[in-house]
Amino acid sequence: MLRVVKLLCCLLAVIGAIALSGYRSLFTSQMAQPHASASMVTHEATRIPTRLLIPSIEVNAVVEPVGVLPNNDLATPTGSPWDDVGWYKSGPAPGERGSAVIDGHLDRPGGYSAVFWHLRSVHVGDKVMVIAAQGKTVLFRVTRIVLYPPQDAPLQEIFGNADGIHLNLITCAGDWVPSQSQTTLRLVVYTSLA
Amino acid sequence: MKLKHSLARVGLRLPLALGFLALLLCFGAPALPASAQSAAFVRVIHASPDVGAADVFVDGAKLLSSFQFGSVTGYVQVPPGPHTVQIALVGKGINAAVISQTLAVSAGVAYTVAAVGTNATGLSLQAFVDNNLLAAGMAKVRVYHLSPGLGDVSVSDGNGMVFSGLSYPQASDYASIAAGSYTFDVTATQPSTTLPLSETLQANTVTSVFAVGLFNGIPKMQLVSAQVNGTPGLPQTGSNPYAQPTNSQPLFPWPLSVLALMVIGAGVTSVGADIARKIARVRSHT
Repeated sequence: MLRVVKLLCCLLAVIGAIALSGYRSLFTSQMAQPHASASMVTHEATRIPTRLLIPSIEVNAVVEPVGVLPNNDLATPTGSPWDDVGWYKSGPAPGERGSAVIDGHLDRPGGYSAVFWHLRSVHVGDKVMVIAAQGKTVLFRVTRIVLYPPQDAPLQEIFGNADGIHLNLITCAGDWVPSQSQTTLRLVVYTSLA
Repeated sequence: MKLKHSLARVGLRLPLALGFLALLLCFGAPALPASAQSAAFVRVIHASPDVGAADVFVDGAKLLSSFQFGSVTGYVQVPPGPHTVQIALVGKGINAAVISQTLAVSAGVAYTVAAVGTNATGLSLQAFVDNNLLAAGMAKVRVYHLSPGLGDVSVSDGNGMVFSGLSYPQASDYASIAAGSYTFDVTATQPSTTLPLSETLQANTVTSVFAVGLFNGIPKMQLVSAQVNGTPGLPQTGSNPYAQPTNSQPLFPWPLSVLALMVIGAGVTSVGADIARKIARVRSHT
C-alpha cells in the first residue's frame, strides 16, 4: 500500500515536470522541418548545405542561407531563428576551398537556450557534418575553439582563409551588455575537412 | 526503525542534492582558452620593373617560384611577428637576393607586400595594411600607385573622381561604390598620361587596382587588378536575457524542470509515505 502511494506520487511529479517544461520543445529538434525551397540546379543541390550535425552536443539543425546586414555584420537565420543555423551564402559552401561559415544563436529572448547553446562544450577532434540537399555529406573535425571580442576578431582568418577547406562555426559568448544590445564575446569553433 | 528513519531522511535529501548538482552542471561553464594568436594574411605583388621573374623566400624557405612581374598572389597565412623576406632572380638562389628585408606582421591583419623600385632608386618591399571588411551591398575599391617615375595620379570611375593626389609608392583609401561594370581611368600629369581599366565589381567584394611598370621603359606601364570576397563582421547571435520570452519556448528551462522534478518528487513521496504510514498505524490499532 505504502509502495503504491509512493509510486503514484513519483508518477505525478514526473507528469507535472514534463508539463511544466513544455514537452513540445523536447521533441522539436528531432522533428524534420521541411523548408520550402526553389527548384535547384543539380550542381547547386550538391553544394548548398541543408543540415548541420554535431553529434557530440546533439545538434541536428536545418541550415538557412544568410547574407549580410546593412551594418556589414553576418546575418542570422530568419525562418526558425532559434532552431536553424545560417550559412554565409557569399562565402564558399562547406567542402569547397576556403572558409565556409555557419552561425547560430546561443540563446533566445528571455535567456532560454537556442541551437548553439552547447557549442562551447565541443572538443578538438569532434565531428561536424554538413548534408547537402541531395544527401552528399561532408565531414569536418574541430581544430580550435576561440573566444574573441567582436570588434577585435580576425575576420580574414574566420572568413577569408583560403589555405585548405574549413568550416567555422560562430555563436555568442560572455555577458549581455544592455547598452550595446550584444554580448561581450563571440565564440568561434574552427573545423577542417576530415 | 532507526534505519528506516535514516533512509527516509536520505530519501528526501538525495533528490535535492541531485537537483542542485544538475543545476551546477548546467550553468557552471568550463573555462575556455583566451583569444589565441591568429595568423596574419599576406599577399605579394611583383611591381619592381628592374627585377625579372623572381623567387621569393620567407625565413629562408621558398614561398614563390618564378614570380612574374605584374602578378599578385592570393593571401597566405603567416605567423605574427618579424620575418625575413628575400627576393632573388629565378633560379639564382637565396644568396643572390636582390631584396632582403625584415617585415613585421600582426595577428589578424591582412597585408599587401609590393616588391618595388628600380636599380637607380633602390629595390625594396613596401607593406600596406589592407582592410577587407565588406561594404554591405556595395563594392570596395582601392588603388595602389606602384609605378616609379610617375607623378601623382587621380582615378575616375566614369561617373566622377574616386581618388586624387595619389603619390608613389602609396595606396589610396577604400572607396565604396555601387556594384556594376566600370572603366577606371588612372590619370597622371607628370608625365601626362591616362590608363584605362575595365572591371566588373561584384557586391560585397574588395577590388585592388595596381598601377605598375614604367611610362618610359620596359615593362610598360599597366593596370593590374585583384578582387577578393570582402569579410563580414561577426553576427549578433546573442539574445537579451531580460526580455519578455517569445511564444515558441518552454515555460521553464529544462534544468529547472529537473530540479522541480526532484523537489516535487521527494516532497510528495515524503508526504505520501507519511500518509501511508499513518494509515498503516491506524489499521494496526484497529
